[in-house]
Amino acid sequence: MSARPYLWVIGGSAGSFTPLRQALLQVPYDPELTLVLCLHRLRQARFQITDAFLRLRRWHLSEPDDKTPIQGGAIYIAPADYHLLIEKEGYFSLSVEEPVHFSRPSIDVTMFSLIQAGWPRAGGILLSGANKDGAHGLFMMYQAGYFTAVQDPADAEVPHMPNAAIALFTPHQVFPISTLPHLLAQKPIPS
Amino acid sequence: MIEDVLPDIAESDLEAFFQITHTIYGYDFRDYARASVLRRLGTILKKYGLPDVKALNQRLLKQKEFFETFLSEFTIGTTELFRDPSAWVALRKQALPLFLSTSQIRIWHAGTSTGEEVLSLAILLTEMGLYPRAQIFATDIDQKALQTAPKARYPLRYKRTYQENFQQVLPDVPFSRYAYEEGNELVFDPQLLRNVRFLRHNLVSDEPFSRFEMILCRNVLIYFTPELQDRVIRKFIQALVPGGILMIGTKESLFWCKEAEKKLASVNNLERIYRRQG
Repeated sequence: MSARPYLWVIGGSAGSFTPLRQALLQVPYDPELTLVLCLHRLRQARFQITDAFLRLRRWHLSEPDDKTPIQGGAIYIAPADYHLLIEKEGYFSLSVEEPVHFSRPSIDVTMFSLIQAGWPRAGGILLSGANKDGAHGLFMMYQAGYFTAVQDPADAEVPHMPNAAIALFTPHQVFPISTLPHLLAQKPIPS
Repeated sequence: MIEDVLPDIAESDLEAFFQITHTIYGYDFRDYARASVLRRLGTILKKYGLPDVKALNQRLLKQKEFFETFLSEFTIGTTELFRDPSAWVALRKQALPLFLSTSQIRIWHAGTSTGEEVLSLAILLTEMGLYPRAQIFATDIDQKALQTAPKARYPLRYKRTYQENFQQVLPDVPFSRYAYEEGNELVFDPQLLRNVRFLRHNLVSDEPFSRFEMILCRNVLIYFTPELQDRVIRKFIQALVPGGILMIGTKESLFWCKEAEKKLASVNNLERIYRRQG
């Protein structure tokens, strides 16, 4: 497998979907960059999210199957009702083990797996959301030396998730949603 | 509420864990996908108040009876009646009709867990009039699951999901034809299991024990590395009769198995249902 792409893990739940989609439409294609979207959504919402994102050209957009190699220039959306894990060999694994914070996919699970895989160049972003899934994962990423950013709670439709992260630690960046495209276009570098 | 854990697991302890489970208990977890192995171990450490994998290894060494409990926690048994309803619709409409004139339908359900998918299958076979000719072998490595499955009794709180899934697959059939409430349990008609044998079988180390018209193995391969997926899928191909059906999980793929390209044709690619050629 070739060099690992730069990788953003982006977590969110209620209130994150529309602004994230808007932001993604503005992120220029980058073959060295990978976006992994871990969003809470309904159990049997197969395909609907990928359909909504179809207007994104160039970026390879998918709900990855189990053991899909992680490639640059791609946006991956955690499939509904599976946890999405990152393996050090450079592919995804899926799991149907118990929900974490009532969530499957769980943002914590994806972030923890990235840390344990020792992914070389990555960052974590937490958006609007209604529970605390992702806060602990992002904190662990912070402690492991990854760049971390949290949507400004004042700006979030549902501030619970960003607030939960900020209660645990001071992320490298707290950003208004309008600057998300700019943030995503940067390659995440170790803090 | 399950709080998540990020255990710090030393590579040497992990290696010792693989050796103990393999050489003492005969379970080789080396080719299980690593991220999940670490998660399961983290959960088990927390649940049993063990400080690290070294302590778990000690317990596995000293307390042989702990292994079955451990194995039950280590393997992921998540399942439900007609999980992924659209896949079962595809099985009913596109795969099962292939057996309408087959005199004997031997089916292997690998990774049966607590048995809901075996019941799903039995219900479809019954509705299609195929059940009397079917012989179902339901296997798992987890002995505890294999004790639960034959009872066909589930917590009543599952009823809503199971009934919703059922109605999506069989909109014209009343759920009450197959299941009823008893106290706090949802009980399935025991007749559904009259042609089912529950057996312990380890996909990693054991060979297939027969040849089959159909093999179902859903959300088991996701816990394996690509290399182990390749080995297991090749076992399935060998165990299928020509024209036999293989159904895997809707997010699993044959991507890592070269032989599958040659030997399996798609029946419904989206729902991951395949047919052995020749």
